[in-house]
Amino acid sequence: MNAEEKVYHERFMREAISMAELALRTDETPVGCVFVKDGEIIGRGMNATNKTLNGTRHAEFIAIAQILEEHPVTILNETDLYVTVEPCVMCASMLRQYGIKGVYFGCWNERFGGTGGVLNCHSDTSVDKPYPVHGGIFREEAIMLLRKFYVQENDKAPEPKQKKTRELKTEILPMDIHAPKPS
Amino acid sequence: MLADTLLSGGLEQLSIVARKGALVPLKTKDEVRAALETFEAYILEVPARWAGAVKDAIHAAIPNLKTADFQHLRRVVQFKYLPVHLQKKYRPPHPSRPRGDNVYQESEDAPAEEDDTARYFLISPVSAIAHRVLIDVLLRNSPFGAAPKPPIVLTISVPALAPCSAEQAAQWTLDYWPISYKNTNPFGPHPNLVARNALEIAPNAGSWLALAEEVGRQLYDLNFGEHVGCVIVDKSRGSHEIIAVAGDCRWRSPCAHSFPRDGTGNVMAHSVQRAIAMVAKKRLRAAGRDSEAASPSDIFCENPMTDLERHFYLQENLSTTGYLCVDMDMYVTHEPCVMCSMAILHSRFRRCVFGRRMPLTGGLTADTALQAKREQTIDGSGLGHGIFWRPTELNWKFLAWEWMDEDSTTMTTTISDTRQV
Repeated sequence: MNAEEKVYHERFMREAISMAELALRTDETPVGCVFVKDGEIIGRGMNATNKTLNGTRHAEFIAIAQILEEHPVTILNETDLYVTVEPCVMCASMLRQYGIKGVYFGCWNERFGGTGGVLNCHSDTSVDKPYPVHGGIFREEAIMLLRKFYVQENDKAPEPKQKKTRELKTEILPMDIHAPKPS
Repeated sequence: MLADTLLSGGLEQLSIVARKGALVPLKTKDEVRAALETFEAYILEVPARWAGAVKDAIHAAIPNLKTADFQHLRRVVQFKYLPVHLQKKYRPPHPSRPRGDNVYQESEDAPAEEDDTARYFLISPVSAIAHRVLIDVLLRNSPFGAAPKPPIVLTISVPALAPCSAEQAAQWTLDYWPISYKNTNPFGPHPNLVARNALEIAPNAGSWLALAEEVGRQLYDLNFGEHVGCVIVDKSRGSHEIIAVAGDCRWRSPCAHSFPRDGTGNVMAHSVQRAIAMVAKKRLRAAGRDSEAASPSDIFCENPMTDLERHFYLQENLSTTGYLCVDMDMYVTHEPCVMCSMAILHSRFRRCVFGRRMPLTGGLTADTALQAKREQTIDGSGLGHGIFWRPTELNWKFLAWEWMDEDSTTMTTTISDTRQV
């Protein structure tokens, strides 16, 4: 990636991060995304699993629903995704079935990542066309947002003993990156 | 309650006839790997009284030998426990002195099982020590040093990983080398657990699959989707509660634009996705929250489309304290695609049964298609993901079965092999 490309991709990842920040402020797992066609954002999404009580309402689902309300599905063939955390296995498969052009993400998701973290849904054997992925754009910011959520979560955890012992750790990633809180 | 009514006549009223057949548990990805993977190992015949000394000499020569990696293989065994093909090689057992290569020949002589002074020692994986070095080690140690000819070290194939069941251990003992089975399954759910759960759901599974088929047919007839459907059942409180019934809506156009038939359609409206969304909306309703405000987009096709879907959607049969789809079972007409398999996992389902394999697109199976054994034409051997049980990688696991109809001719799929379910 040359300097010019870097500036281009970072511009959109910055937008994805602001969606993740919005999620954090509204009590959702801080994962955000934007979909970009020809240099323009055509859809935005953030995790909504808590609001909907639906564990599949990840940022990518929310944004694609918004896009398909206005555009034909074929627009996704010319659209790139920028998402703060690597798409999970479910989203990675969904994106391939819709024929996404490419995926750019911040940090890897070692617990259920679908584009390298656990599976390679973007490139492995499938009836659908593969897509390129590029990870690591503003990786630290994406991780820091998740850590903030992790600590914030603990403030609300039922066992008060545990929350006192938890702090903003630097080397531990939260395990359930997309999962809604038990109600 | 309603499900019970359905069972006692309701299904017939809908002209739904339960499928007759059996549940076949899916193999996990690790089980498939464990069943196939072998390594080469050295074995040696030694007089029983020298077995300990030879073992010590081997461990001195290979100080970093990881015996934990082949704990499932018995280390020192008697002649009578060897598999038949190895007994033939060592017949008659030659316990009193080390065997030179002149006696290495297959013999049909009478077995001497009663002679218990020979031991058969699994030395190590071939990768741990070169054959020449091993022979040198043995020659430097009694009793082989005093023998007129160098010892015979054979190389055999052995299973690389521990067995998943007593049956597998018994089979491997016949095929390879005596196996130790610890009554556990390190690579999947314990066979007893799977059997107990299968017994519990088997009486009604054929009915739920038929109901899934029916709702799929209804939406297919409306031109909304493929002939695919699913049923979510909660059996955790004893009775059968049908929580949601949903068909496929990938071709439905909720907004201005249609979904071209030469594409994949509206992927997020697969039946599994719709059914999970209906459970969530029922939860919101049970919690007194506005389910419409929480899910503003009709693209998801979360609302019921037919009377059949609506009937179960309106039932207030969810406990108010539940979380996602914990304790629920998913019945799908076809093996779910990778996206839907992971949606089932994300939603914390307890069990899943599917009616037909999808060798090119299914996300649950880990092995090659069972149908191949029944000489049916299949175009692919499966993607091998086994998403239902990968506990070291994914944060949830569930039990999964495929359904095998008694009459295999009815197993022909109603949709194209290249479709994602």
